[in-house]
Amino acid sequence: MKLLVVEDEAGLKDSIRDYFTEAGNVCETVSDYGLAMQKINLYRYDCIILDITLPNGNGLDILRTLKTNRYPDGVLIISAKNSLDDRLQGLDLGADDYLTKPFHLSELRARVMAITRRKSFDGNHIVVFNELQLDMLAKSVSANDTPIKFTKREYDLLLYFIANKGKVVTKNAIAEHLWGDSIDAANNFDFIYSHIKNIRKKLMEAGSKDYIHAAYGMGYKFSDQ
Amino acid sequence: MRLFTRYYRVNLIITVVVLLFTGIIYYWAISLILTSQKDKDLVVEEQEVFEYVRINHRLPQVFQSKDQQITFTPVHSDVKREFITTDYYNPKEKENENGRGLVSSVQVNGVNYKILVVESSVETDDLVQIIFGITIAVILLLLLVLFIANRLILARIWQPFYGILQQVKNFNLTGKAEIDPQPTNIEEFEELNMAVSSMSARVQHDYNELKAFTENASHELLTPIAIINSKLDTLIQTEGFNERQSVLLNDVYTSVSRLTRLNQSMLLLSRIENQIISGFEPVNLKWLVTEKVAQLQELYADKDIKLNMDLQEKEIQCSRYLMDILLNNLLVNAIKHNKPGGEIIIILTDSRLEIKNTGEDKDLSGNDIFKRFSKSASSEGTGLGLTISAQICDNYGFKLNYSYKNQYHSFTVNF
Repeated sequence: MKLLVVEDEAGLKDSIRDYFTEAGNVCETVSDYGLAMQKINLYRYDCIILDITLPNGNGLDILRTLKTNRYPDGVLIISAKNSLDDRLQGLDLGADDYLTKPFHLSELRARVMAITRRKSFDGNHIVVFNELQLDMLAKSVSANDTPIKFTKREYDLLLYFIANKGKVVTKNAIAEHLWGDSIDAANNFDFIYSHIKNIRKKLMEAGSKDYIHAAYGMGYKFSDQ
Repeated sequence: MRLFTRYYRVNLIITVVVLLFTGIIYYWAISLILTSQKDKDLVVEEQEVFEYVRINHRLPQVFQSKDQQITFTPVHSDVKREFITTDYYNPKEKENENGRGLVSSVQVNGVNYKILVVESSVETDDLVQIIFGITIAVILLLLLVLFIANRLILARIWQPFYGILQQVKNFNLTGKAEIDPQPTNIEEFEELNMAVSSMSARVQHDYNELKAFTENASHELLTPIAIINSKLDTLIQTEGFNERQSVLLNDVYTSVSRLTRLNQSMLLLSRIENQIISGFEPVNLKWLVTEKVAQLQELYADKDIKLNMDLQEKEIQCSRYLMDILLNNLLVNAIKHNKPGGEIIIILTDSRLEIKNTGEDKDLSGNDIFKRFSKSASSEGTGLGLTISAQICDNYGFKLNYSYKNQYHSFTVNF
């Protein structure tokens, strides 16, 4: 997977690059408008993570250029401008998704994965992780070709884990991903544990391995190691 | 009391007092003059008697004269000469009238006689009465003129003042309307015009600055928070934390997410207050409530909260995004401040949406719950949820009310 991060805040840019850099991924970064324009005119990316407010220019213009030239790159806008208008404008211009700062890197990754999967040319809607198969269209899960009955939340959670495989995902990030603003209603994140327990149980019953590991009481890591 | 009623009243009292006072002085002075006139007449009469006695050595004959009577009485002692106020018997009218008399004495052939000359003072009294009447009439006329002048002229003169006052009353910081100067040629009102106009412009300007500051500050905070967040996410990917480090990291995480939520709430509130987020679209409330409740299902089920709904079809015109926030805030509160095994009741009718929940056994009506950052000590929320909710309701002309009855905390949105 080849990514371009267009972000002027060095701290954020580096974190994103570190989080995405792994075997099989290429993650390039630029921090200003001119360089970003050069890059997108020269190379194609599976997904471009695009900040709107840039020195010397507006991220939305980069998006416009991409669309005018009919480049197929996926675009995810990250912006501190959490205004509805910006979001609508971005999506109207053809961005695939919009994420408001601040965000969890795991959330960013889940969104980027969703975009690249949608964009993949083979139209493959099956996500495979060892013996697990997730059908993105039917929103169903199977292990070793045995269908497992998952609730919508459990499916979303498993998909989130797979998108962030090998990474520690915090309970905070999980809660915000699944419940959004409504998570304020919870006094603590203990109830996430019951969801994890159910997923584990269902996967093991279907003959899958236990990939969900607790990490320092902070969150979980989905990994086959 | 209105300024001009007060002014009118003071004016009235002063006028009446002054007029009465002058009336009394007038009355007193005129009676004094008239009485001394009468006394002179009496002295003339006395002198005539003395003259007559000196020449004729006998008392003059007493005869009836108009308005004057004279009597002689023999006395043995001395008589003190004095003027007296007495009665005068009017033989024509056959009644007593007010009179003025002079008591004196004369010696005729070794016999002392007391002389009493009495004159009627009816004419004097009449004159005084007429003067008094005229004074009263002048008072009444003056009052009438003052009254009309106050009503007509003062009301017209004060017109610009009331115009400005009305505008100041209607002045709304969040509104766009500025205060127009009222046309006037009175210097004081001209000054008032200028002062009020410039004050309103300044207040509006400061308020806008403050609002812009809140928004900019929240906005500027977003980037550092985003960096902290991403660095934390990166940090936990490095392996090998011990127990203590994990606990510390966890606390940092929790605080950063609280900071994020607080910051986002502040931004949201300032945007709603500035009506940057607004708009009207048909929103099916029944549908939206059902959807929200489904979304929150695990969260209230986790606390064993029982949920009852009685929803009628209701469609309103508002922003769906804001209505979603409003519902979310109210429902989240109903869950968060509930007790384990508690209850939530949602009632939607054509006129209102009511969300009732059990919880702490305490009436919160007096606590300014809709004020910014007002929250219970135990709450980890931002303290802005209800402020945002009330502001959304306000923007759409709905009314958000709180009440506490039969151990149910109830929030009602009246459409």
